[in-house]
Amino acid sequence: MIDRRTLFGATAAVVSFVGALFGSKSASAASAPMKMFKGDVEPRGTDQRLERLPKLDLESYDNFLTGLRIWSGSASSKTARRRFNDAIEAGGLDPREDLPLEKIFPLVENDTYIGTTARLRTSGQQLMWSALQKHFHENADAYLDEMEATDNIGPGKLELSPDMEIPDYTKHEIHIQPGGYVGDAFAGHSYHYGTNNFYRAENYQDEIHRNLASQMPTPKDGKVLRILDMGCGSGQLPAALKERFPDAEVWGVDVGGPMVRYAHMRCVDLGIGANFRQALAEDTKFDDGYFDIVTSYIMHHEVPAQKSKEIIDEAFRVLRPGGVYFPLDFETGAGRGRGKNAYSRFSSWRDHRWNEEVWRPEYSSVDFNGEMRKTGFDVVDEGPPGWRSRYNVLGTKPA
Amino acid sequence: MATSKLKTDRPTYASDFIASDVERAVFLGNPVLDNMMTSLIALGAEVWSNRRRMKVVEALLAEKGVTAEMVETYMPTAEQDAEWQKDRDRFIDLTYSPLLREGDLPVSAAFTREKK
Repeated sequence: MIDRRTLFGATAAVVSFVGALFGSKSASAASAPMKMFKGDVEPRGTDQRLERLPKLDLESYDNFLTGLRIWSGSASSKTARRRFNDAIEAGGLDPREDLPLEKIFPLVENDTYIGTTARLRTSGQQLMWSALQKHFHENADAYLDEMEATDNIGPGKLELSPDMEIPDYTKHEIHIQPGGYVGDAFAGHSYHYGTNNFYRAENYQDEIHRNLASQMPTPKDGKVLRILDMGCGSGQLPAALKERFPDAEVWGVDVGGPMVRYAHMRCVDLGIGANFRQALAEDTKFDDGYFDIVTSYIMHHEVPAQKSKEIIDEAFRVLRPGGVYFPLDFETGAGRGRGKNAYSRFSSWRDHRWNEEVWRPEYSSVDFNGEMRKTGFDVVDEGPPGWRSRYNVLGTKPA
Repeated sequence: MATSKLKTDRPTYASDFIASDVERAVFLGNPVLDNMMTSLIALGAEVWSNRRRMKVVEALLAEKGVTAEMVETYMPTAEQDAEWQKDRDRFIDLTYSPLLREGDLPVSAAFTREKK
């Protein structure tokens, strides 16, 4: 674990205390905020890499909803699954089969226990987003000041494109996040803290992203001068990649201006020199052959199938010969498509319909590895491990 | 819980967006039941926030010499005990009396009282 205060404490500039803005009159000596840059909003200090949520009650609210998510994913889901399977069997069907939804719905839709599990998940998520957005909006000026304070300072660069045309396919409220990735000034803030809930409190120190970075495959010749993360969200993977490859030029691109703004601000705060650009993954604006490694993490299932193909093309274009493409997502690699049953079909549909996973069915329908081959990659279906999957597809641009 | 749009003249780099219709979802057959479940979850979050704050207070008190054991073994005076029970009974009455309501009229029920 890297203790940010240990790392940066010696050089940190301690500037004005903004706790009063948030009604916190004091903090104990142990948690006294140390401002990393002028305007840094950090009334409750940090827990290593994680800036603590600015209010104890907000942190506790999030803490409860994380616990609820864990519980609903185990105890409540078990009840729902048992009742689901019983209902399917009572309807004369086999729950082990990948049944069509039109056969599933009439048998399970009126079961209020199955509905309870769905409601726990959805309402918990709605309440979490709502509490976060409410806080950031109520203190908007301080948080906008904070981002403005870092927009033009390093160590890394931030490139915003305020006149960029934002495609409609990116404008959905993915994960029912208010405003989605592009439509809220604090999309990056909300996404970062919201996904801490999604990761069930196991990513407060970017553990998952740092683990992915540690497993990132490199070109056979070992040359890693430049790395690109497509659809970087709140920038945790580019940050982790920059830490693993400190001499490389690391870029994260995302369609959301507020996303890359937050990502950049956080990296400034952590003293990490990753660069961020507001750009589409299918049109990154980088030169041909610029990168040695191109990666993405759980992005492809958030775009239409056609865009997924264009993104693969773009990855191929910006990679140099011998460069590697490592797109991590649900069900990449050799395990793709295995283990489907009626409940997983139903759950996937619910995730699509009510968690606003708009494009997930399209993603599931794409022969992803086949598309990579068509583009020209040399493909290894059972590539290196990554999040959730033992194997992930790995592409290499032929030399 | 509908999405709110930040009102500011400052640059935010946010665009328009396509709103989800999750607010219209009914998973329990009756939107009121769905709403009650949501309120129950929110209430749980509030209760836990208070309990967590209390843990912080207790931890800070312990640093000042008031230990958790002292809190656990604290014996109220007779006056305190009487006052706390009164408060408890008020809490119970306010919280659970609604459970005893014996409603039986549908929304379409005719107005039967004498109109003066």
